[in-house]
Amino acid sequence: MAEHTAVHRSGLTMPVVTPRFIDNAWRRGCDFINMDLEDSVPQNLKGYARTLIKDAIANVTKGGAEAFTRINHDLVLADLEGIVWPGLAKVNYPKAEYAEEIQTLDTIISRLERERGIRPGTVEIGANIETSVGVANAYDIAAASPRVREFGGAGGYDMSRDLGVEMFVGFDQFVYGKGEVELAARALGLEPHTAPFTANTTGSVGDPDRAFREAEAARKCGFRVGGGLHPNVVEPQTKGFTPTQEEVDEAHQILERYRELEVSGETWADIDGEIVDRYEAARARKLIDWSELCAQRDQEKAEAVARVERLGE
Amino acid sequence: MSILIRRSNLMVPVTNDRFAQGAWRHGADAITLDLEDGVTPALKAGARELAKDAVAVAGKGAAEVFVRVNKEFLVADIEASVWPGLAGIMLPKVESPEDVIEASEVLSSAERQRGIEPGTLSLILLLESANAVFRVREIIAASERVSQVGLDESDLSASLGISASAEYDPHVYARGRMAIEATAAGVQPIGIAHPMGTLPSLLPDEDMLKIATDSKNLGFKGIVCPHPSWIASVNTAFTPTEEQVDFYNQVRDVFAQAIAAGTAAVPFAGRMIDVPVDEWAKVVIATSTACRLRDAEKQSALEAASA
Repeated sequence: MAEHTAVHRSGLTMPVVTPRFIDNAWRRGCDFINMDLEDSVPQNLKGYARTLIKDAIANVTKGGAEAFTRINHDLVLADLEGIVWPGLAKVNYPKAEYAEEIQTLDTIISRLERERGIRPGTVEIGANIETSVGVANAYDIAAASPRVREFGGAGGYDMSRDLGVEMFVGFDQFVYGKGEVELAARALGLEPHTAPFTANTTGSVGDPDRAFREAEAARKCGFRVGGGLHPNVVEPQTKGFTPTQEEVDEAHQILERYRELEVSGETWADIDGEIVDRYEAARARKLIDWSELCAQRDQEKAEAVARVERLGE
Repeated sequence: MSILIRRSNLMVPVTNDRFAQGAWRHGADAITLDLEDGVTPALKAGARELAKDAVAVAGKGAAEVFVRVNKEFLVADIEASVWPGLAGIMLPKVESPEDVIEASEVLSSAERQRGIEPGTLSLILLLESANAVFRVREIIAASERVSQVGLDESDLSASLGISASAEYDPHVYARGRMAIEATAAGVQPIGIAHPMGTLPSLLPDEDMLKIATDSKNLGFKGIVCPHPSWIASVNTAFTPTEEQVDFYNQVRDVFAQAIAAGTAAVPFAGRMIDVPVDEWAKVVIATSTACRLRDAEKQSALEAASA
């Protein structure tokens, strides 16, 4: 199973047609910027919007964020022709419902990578599950292309509309769908992009405290991928998805104890009420690896920002 | 946007004369005359003979009238029930697509015999076993007649070996699976939030309203009501509130202004309004209108029949 080295803790989705969002995106400290061609872009600006992506890629990535673009479900070919340029890391495809859709995307992206001098297989596909049909076909969709590396959804406004429910009602309305997409992702060795339920009865998109609690809860349930709509949530998400120093220290201790255990020939030990065995050791190793990836990513972003500032933007 | 409004479905045993004769007065969107579990075996044959008149009476308040048939007496029960005024059949204990196909074929031949337009009789399916929940996709897809699908949570509990308790909810997965698969297939999921599916009883109206609202927010489109006292709460819960309609009218205005200003994402009331929110606003407003029309239709039928 492939190792996941991507770090996508925080990101902002923004309409590519709003210059003040795009021009300031690099300062936000995100792991990724998701430039939207879909639901935040008016119908009459769709054609114009896709012409902006090529230049915007350089703009939004100069602070070290990866550049993603969310395309329109019904404008796949024109959108992909407009956006697949060097520097684009991921195409987010909304309302994915059938494996064939993802295969079509893969075919077009493969051609564009060839034509435009992009290393084959570079551009990821985010197959976003936002409808009941998508949940019903989750496994097939996730398995449709090796470009799908993170997989999830099954909540949000589109899903709510499809199910015909009001959101923000204070209980977990999407537990089944989220479970299905997580299982499909895990079964295929993909990084699941979903989260445990944390109540949000206001619908606020800019509450930093809630964003932190949500990210931390998600990380503790084994998730790593975040993203939002408001600059206020970037830093809390980044922090919530990053292991604390205390957790890292503890993980090192567990590994140390486990090494001693292996030498002694025992398979498990109860140390101060904590069980240490190979499962705990594997968990600790994973946490340390993730923490190192996060640190590396933060370093890259800090260097990128310093570079921009040195050059006076 | 054509929206099926079948929020409350009052279930009455056809053999209980008082219930069957009075059911039309309670404002239910649908009435299901039960030939199945509500009728003791000794009364089954007699019950069938009551169906034709009961269908006519139950329709007096403009409710859609269904009959719940016995799986083992499918043909006899359907033949006894298919008369003008019947909206369709509630088919319990569905286990396979073949069960649905069989019922649909029996309905087709009854439609021909009774001069009813082919394909108009509808099916409400009830899933009552692990197998049925597992095969829900093929079951729903088996006939164009299927308009709604629900869980019989009491029987499902028995099938799964669960002793029902209000303390915990054993059917989170089954309910979620059915809501997703039905919605995916364009069929309405019906059902009720825990614990009322396994422990149907009487609650104060405000509690009933809360639980019916939760049901709506799980994706269900209606509730089978074992008692008339549920109906008003259920109809209210599945009808958009005035506050919601006001809110979504504002959403539509704000969004239209944003589009005119060149963006489809605009903050409003602490939320971010974009295309799917505007689309949902349209649904809420259209649903509100459809509910109002349905209520007016029932009200005038009720007044005419009472006069």
